[in-house]
Amino acid sequence: MAMTGSKESASAISVSGLRKLYGRFEALKDVSLTVERGEIFGLLGANGAGKSTLIKVLVGSLKPSAGSVQVLGLDPIKQAQLLRRQIGYMPQVPALYEDLSPRDNVRFFGKAHGLANLERRIDEVLEFVNLRSRERDPVYSFSGGMKQRVSLACALIHAPRLLLLDEPSAGVDPKLREAFWQHFRELAANGVTLLVSTHQMDEAFHCDRVAIMRDGLFLACDTPKNLMRRGRAQISIWRGAEVDRHAVTNYAEQLPGILRRYNLDPSITRVEIEEDTLEAIVLDMINVREAQITPAKEAVDVVHA
Amino acid sequence: MSYTLSRTGAVGERALRQLRHDRRFLGLSLVAPLLIIYLLYVFFESTSSPFFRPTEFIVPVGAFIVHFITFLLCAIVLVRERTARTLERMFVNGYRQREIIGGYLLAYTGLATLQSLAVLTEMHLLFALDYSLDRLLSIYLVMWLLAVISLALGILISNFARNEGQIFPFIPLVILPSIFLSGVIVSVEKLPEWAQWLGRLTPLYYANEVIQALIEPGGSLDDAWISLALLPIYGVAILLLAMLTLRERE
Repeated sequence: MAMTGSKESASAISVSGLRKLYGRFEALKDVSLTVERGEIFGLLGANGAGKSTLIKVLVGSLKPSAGSVQVLGLDPIKQAQLLRRQIGYMPQVPALYEDLSPRDNVRFFGKAHGLANLERRIDEVLEFVNLRSRERDPVYSFSGGMKQRVSLACALIHAPRLLLLDEPSAGVDPKLREAFWQHFRELAANGVTLLVSTHQMDEAFHCDRVAIMRDGLFLACDTPKNLMRRGRAQISIWRGAEVDRHAVTNYAEQLPGILRRYNLDPSITRVEIEEDTLEAIVLDMINVREAQITPAKEAVDVVHA
Repeated sequence: MSYTLSRTGAVGERALRQLRHDRRFLGLSLVAPLLIIYLLYVFFESTSSPFFRPTEFIVPVGAFIVHFITFLLCAIVLVRERTARTLERMFVNGYRQREIIGGYLLAYTGLATLQSLAVLTEMHLLFALDYSLDRLLSIYLVMWLLAVISLALGILISNFARNEGQIFPFIPLVILPSIFLSGVIVSVEKLPEWAQWLGRLTPLYYANEVIQALIEPGGSLDDAWISLALLPIYGVAILLLAMLTLRERE
C-alpha cells in the first residue's frame, strides 16, 4: 500500500489548538493531542462531548475552524486522497446499505481501494466479525450489534495503518467485545494505530492512553493506570473491633504517612483500601463544574469540588 | 483513469444491486408513470371532443411524467445516502464526487431507459399514436435524454437537501413550473418575455420543442435540431454543477 508523504512523521496523529465551531456552538475547544504509531488511544466521554467531531476532523469529514491537524503526516483536508488509502473509519452509526448483504457492503467499500485479493480479504474480515454464516442476508434483518460488526468489517477490509473507530463495541455482546479488543491489540502489535471512542469505562483498560472529554475539552489525557491514581481511596485501619477511616486522594503516596502515625502499633489487625473505580473517577471529571474546566494541559489538573 | 472508471463502475454496480433488492422501489418507479398515463387516457376518453386531439398533448405530457418521476426518485435516493451517512463513508473510503455521480448516472440511466420505453409503448398502445417507426424512435430518444437530464437534475437538487423531506419544496420550485413555461400546455410565445426566459431554463422546453416538431404532420428532427443538440449540453452542464456542489464535508 502506498505510504507517500507519511514516512517522515513519527506520530500517527498530531493535533494542536484544534477548534471546531458549528455556527456559534463550539464543539471542540482548543484540543491538542499526539498519538504515537502502534498506540491504542481511547476517547472517553458522554454523548455530545466532542468525540465524534474529533474523529470526523481526523478523517477529513469536517474542516477544522482553527488549529493544525496531521494524520500519518498528512493534512486530512489538503491530502485527503492520500490519507484515505491508509485509514479505516467506522462511524458511530453503522452507515451501511441495509438492503444489501454484509458481503456486498464490504465488497463495495473494498473496491474503493482497488484490492487485488478482495474476495479472500472479505472472507477474512467477515470471519473475524463472526458473520460468515449470515454473509448473504440483508443487513436490515440484523440487530444493532450485528450491524456494528458489518461496519467494523468495512473499516478493516483494506488493512489500514490507522483505524478510527467511533464506538465500535456499542451493542456488541461481551464475548465478541473481548474478541474485538484482542484483535485490536494484535493490530497494534503489528504497528497499526487505533483511536477508539467509547463510553464503556472498562474498555479504557484496553487502551495505552485515554483522553477524557467533556464539552469539547480534554479533561485529562493519561494512561489508565495514571488516571486511576487520580481517584480517591478510603483507608480503613482496624485495631481489634475499632476502625479508623482515612479518606485520601492517592493512597499509594499517602499510606506510608498514615501508617507512620500509628507508630507500627502492634494492635493493628487489618488494613483495608477501597479505591474509586475508573468509572467513578471519570464521572467525577465529566461532572466537574463548568467554572473549573480549563482547556488543554491545565485541564489535567482539575480540582474536584 | 482506470482506477476512476473501476470505482465509478463499483458505485453503479452497487446502486443496481440495491435497485434489484428494493423491488418495491423498482416496481413503483416503473408502474407509477404507467398508471398516470392510463389515468390520463381515462380522462381524455371521458372528455373527448371533435376539437380536441389528445395525441397532441399526450407525448409531451408523457415526457413530463418521466421527467418528474425520474427526478424525484433520483433525488430521494441520493439524499438517503446523505441521511444514512453512507455518502460520508464513501468519501472517507476514497470515492470522489465524479465517481459517485457517474456511478449513479450509470445505474439509473438503465432504469430511465426502461421507464421511457415502457411509457412510450403504453402511449402508443392506448392512444394509437400514428407515427412512423423513425419518428417513434426519435421521440424515444428525446424522452430518454430528458430522463437522463432529470437524473442529473435530481442529483444536483439532492445536494441542497439534508433529508428526504427537504426535496419536496423543490418540486413546486423546479419541476412543476416547467409544465406551464415550457410550451407543453400553452405556446411559449404567448407568455410574457420574462416567463419565456424562465421557460428556456427548463430542460422540458427543449424536449417539448423537439417533440412538437416530431408530432406535427410532416415534421421531422431537422426542424428542431438545435433544441435536440441543446439537450445533452444542458445535461452535461447540470452534471458539472452537481459535481461542483456535491459537498464532501459539512
